[in-house]
Amino acid sequence: MAVRARNVSKLLSKVINGVPKGQIRQLSAEPAEIESRPDFRTTCTMIPGDGVGPELMYSVQEVFKAAGVPVDFEAYFFSEVNPTLSAPLEKVAESISRNRVCLKGILATPDYSHTGELQTLNMKLRNALDLYANVVHVKSLEGVKLRHSGIDCVIIREQTEGEYSALEHEGVKGVVECLKIVTAKKSQRIAKFAFDYATKNGRKRVTAVHKANIMKLGDGLFLRSCEEIAKLYPKIEFEKMIVDNCTMQMVSNPQQFDVMVTPNLYGNIVDNLASGLVGGAGVVAGASYSANCVVFEPGARHTYSEAVGKNVANPTAMLLCAAKMLRHVNLPRYGDMIRSAIEKVLKDGKVKTKDVGGQSTTQQFTYAVINNLDIPKA
Amino acid sequence: MASRIVKKSALRLGQNLFRAQSTMSAFELQHKTPVIKKITSIPIALYGGRNAVTMLPGGGIGPELMSYVKEVFKYAGAPVDFEIVDIDAKAEDNIDLEYAITSIKRNGVAIKGNIETKSKSSEVLSRNVAIRNELDLYVNILHVKSYPGVPARQKDIDIVIIRQNTEGEYAMLEHESIDGVVESMKVVTESNSERVARFAFEWAKANGRKKITTIHKANIMKLSDGLFLDTSQKIAKEYPEIEHNEMIIDNCCMQLVSKPHQFDVMIMTNLYGSIVSNVVCGLIGGAGLLSGKNYGDHYAIFEPATRNTGKAIAGKNVANPIAMLSASVDMLEHLGHNQHAKMIQRAIYKTVCEDKIHTPDLGGTATSTDVVQKIIDHILQSDIRPW
Amino acid sequence: MRLFGHLRNAKSHSDTFWNKLSNFFSNVTETDTNLKHSAQSLGNRLFSSESRKCTLIPGHGIGPEISAAVQKIFAAANVPIEWESVDVTPVKGPDGKFGIPQAAIDSVNRNKIGLKGPLMTPVGKGYRSLNLALRKEFNLYANVRPCRSLEGFKTLYDEVDVVTIRENTEGEYSGIEHEIVDGVVQSIKLITEEASRRVAEFAFQYAIDNKRKKVTAVHKANIMRMSDGLFLRCCREMAKKYPDVKFEERYLDTVCLNMVQDPTQYDVLVMPNLYGDILSDMCAGLIGGLGLTPSGNIGLNGALFESVHGTAPDIAGQDKANPTALLLSAVMMLRYMGLNEHAAKIEKACFDTIREAKHLTGDLGGKSKCSEFTNAICEKVTAA
Repeated sequence: MAVRARNVSKLLSKVINGVPKGQIRQLSAEPAEIESRPDFRTTCTMIPGDGVGPELMYSVQEVFKAAGVPVDFEAYFFSEVNPTLSAPLEKVAESISRNRVCLKGILATPDYSHTGELQTLNMKLRNALDLYANVVHVKSLEGVKLRHSGIDCVIIREQTEGEYSALEHEGVKGVVECLKIVTAKKSQRIAKFAFDYATKNGRKRVTAVHKANIMKLGDGLFLRSCEEIAKLYPKIEFEKMIVDNCTMQMVSNPQQFDVMVTPNLYGNIVDNLASGLVGGAGVVAGASYSANCVVFEPGARHTYSEAVGKNVANPTAMLLCAAKMLRHVNLPRYGDMIRSAIEKVLKDGKVKTKDVGGQSTTQQFTYAVINNLDIPKA
Repeated sequence: MASRIVKKSALRLGQNLFRAQSTMSAFELQHKTPVIKKITSIPIALYGGRNAVTMLPGGGIGPELMSYVKEVFKYAGAPVDFEIVDIDAKAEDNIDLEYAITSIKRNGVAIKGNIETKSKSSEVLSRNVAIRNELDLYVNILHVKSYPGVPARQKDIDIVIIRQNTEGEYAMLEHESIDGVVESMKVVTESNSERVARFAFEWAKANGRKKITTIHKANIMKLSDGLFLDTSQKIAKEYPEIEHNEMIIDNCCMQLVSKPHQFDVMIMTNLYGSIVSNVVCGLIGGAGLLSGKNYGDHYAIFEPATRNTGKAIAGKNVANPIAMLSASVDMLEHLGHNQHAKMIQRAIYKTVCEDKIHTPDLGGTATSTDVVQKIIDHILQSDIRPW
Repeated sequence: MRLFGHLRNAKSHSDTFWNKLSNFFSNVTETDTNLKHSAQSLGNRLFSSESRKCTLIPGHGIGPEISAAVQKIFAAANVPIEWESVDVTPVKGPDGKFGIPQAAIDSVNRNKIGLKGPLMTPVGKGYRSLNLALRKEFNLYANVRPCRSLEGFKTLYDEVDVVTIRENTEGEYSGIEHEIVDGVVQSIKLITEEASRRVAEFAFQYAIDNKRKKVTAVHKANIMRMSDGLFLRCCREMAKKYPDVKFEERYLDTVCLNMVQDPTQYDVLVMPNLYGDILSDMCAGLIGGLGLTPSGNIGLNGALFESVHGTAPDIAGQDKANPTALLLSAVMMLRYMGLNEHAAKIEKACFDTIREAKHLTGDLGGKSKCSEFTNAICEKVTAA
């Protein structure tokens, strides 16, 4: 009897303090941290790349050690300019498919190849893993004062076909033909990726960048595929812009862009342009997606070979890639910790590398980030 | 090739194929013209290992249950991104509904609560039925398995109910020709019956089931249920290793409450399916424990088995979250994320059967949040990789 | 198939190659003489007392107004030029096909120099792009667009002084496309040695004539190894012939990246068709848009200078247009003809007017009419 009375009064108190319909209810205690599971470590493939890549990777590893991030790296030396020492493509591809995530530096592409092949190593890796979508999120950083501010756009680039199909021949001496391939299937795929990305991240507008007034069949097919897919997303605005007008608008009024979907070459131009507007190749992070795995690499792909060994490269881009990677492998607390440390260092403005107008070295910047990490007491 | 198919179906379906599409009613388009209602291929929404899935919270307890699903997925690290589509119950038009359908068409998979349709006018179809018909989700599977720790009259039940999901008594074709006289049509087609029967036998074969029982009322409705029964018997001949028998619905209900262990897999039309699934849920202890899967050729939707909005208990933190969480486990299995599905399934099993944390509908005193918290604790202690 | 058509043309170019070889033995190469002639000889043929004839193509929309403005300014500056106005709206020829009227073609062939206003291309029907047709008709192989920041018009970029030289006839815009299989389209980018060499030589010659220090070749030879590789090789060969001009080669994405951060590091840029289109529009964006950018197309037998903005039909006839683009293109034309003092006078007047900011048209942020702006420039020109 007493028990029943107690149960009824418990129920009544819940009804009286009840939460209105539909509101999310708070769970009882402090939510246990995902990261507090003692035994579990994630493995991630790492490709340092050429140029300043290895130094930047070293920064990342230092920061990870200081923050205590439970990630192990499986490193491979993968390079086209040093083909004899490079790990074979199959091994690297198998490792990335197994780990499903990879942190990659920039691979240098020489203008010629020993075997006379037209496909670069980057292209081969992308085709082996079908990494068809490259996403570069360009955002103005506080603390990097430039001509434009308030930029927040995402450039999604199809990176397996288009102008970079590596199909060239010299039919007659002195006349070279280079084939640009556009397929409906891949255009639809990248358009769907762009719209799904916009839906997932609450973006309102997708702009397709093209040159269909001149390349009527090729870019016309790309544009038509985007329009077809746009019909499935009535809540997202779709617009088209010709690439030369787009570059002009980007340098005068870049704040108007939200999500852009582009074929291969135009995407290369536009994302380098956008990276330049927010601070250069050292501050923009990007990622390449396939259906099953993700490769995180800096957005503007330059090896900065002039600065090798001089300790002047900016590790911001690589650290932001690492933060993105942590969010992807369900370790968001560490990712946010690293990101806020970087933002704090940039906002303070005391430690800046050469490309954003300061004098500090890579090592000083890394230590500054480590000092600003907000590690909770154990 | 296409002309050959057209000719064949024309012979089977009569002259309908050569009439203009505009002269056909929605029902005819749905059921008699499989060639016209073609579906164009849309790329799969799988990026970097993460799937995009539509979430329809619906009304009543729907939104809270969906929030629990999102919490559990966050801790389990399930690679699923939800696109939440709310459907306004009071709206007279179908804009939200159409958007929801478009969203499911491009994502391919959805998880759904029960959607209210407050309008009483006969023009507005029940929205749940509309979704099922539009996406041609022709079969509904409900796997009823007893949970050992839950108090119930019958123990160790393991029945699978496969129910036709788009026609039958739910064809929604009613009219009042004379004042005071209403006619309601029950439609049974051979193509749909064949699809369901074939699905059932294939599923039984793939999952090692031994016996299939067809439930019907062919003694009274000789033509309609007769067609259903004949079709399933015809298909049964192609699967000699699976035993097939039939039972009339009233006898079946009596048997279910007295001797449920004689049943293995049961196939039936829409209304009988609704009745039988509710009866069996009652047998194992409650509506709040089971989830149903709706399959079509191209799309799949997962929902709690008993389709009620639970308006009375909305917001009171007493709803049973197990049904929706089971639906989410089914969804993960369907998408191929078996590790995560197993992890959550084991956590649910431990919470319900070993820890015996039950909400009031199962006779316990815990709140929904207690149950969810315990499940999350079990997930965090499990040794399966979280992403 | 058009594919083989191009190879056939290549064969005919090789005939010229044999001519060149024979000329080589007499120590004169044909290409050298051609370009030197085209760059200066036309100007040299000008006798100081005689006036030159120039073809003027007013165009559509605001075209007639701004052409009239330019003519007025030239008259005020006493420039020894006689204008011959023609209309290039295509007419139906005797064979039923739309083509540029013969009168226009004869005029430009005779005068060898032209100034063109904005032309309208109807979308979807009617005649093909007139700009493309003119380019083909007169074999205009290089497009030059100097982009310099205007002192009176503030943009976020103040120190821009870049010239983009773009190959105008081939490359990605060859127009050779076909759909081989349903859903798969193939588009051919054509690079020939002849055209690449021609435009590279023009770029270096331009640099010398205009006292520029550096020529940068923009390419993507790491990806398109054969096609852009050929272009790059031609540029390198030409660089050897002009040792006074510094030569560097840069990847397209590097140029984009650096251009928006610091435009002063680039001087003259030479590149194939598509990259040139995009980069020249981007540079126009840096200095304030297409309404302020001059442009010139140089061919083997003449040159056509044009304004690159649109016809602006919404403000046509309302005296609101800004003639700056056409005026600066006309100034480019004067320099090309060798009338440098007149060119400098008019250019200075134009820049001064914009700097004073008393009579600016709507697109520059002012409220004056086109005629007021023109009059202001005329006053400065007559005063100088």
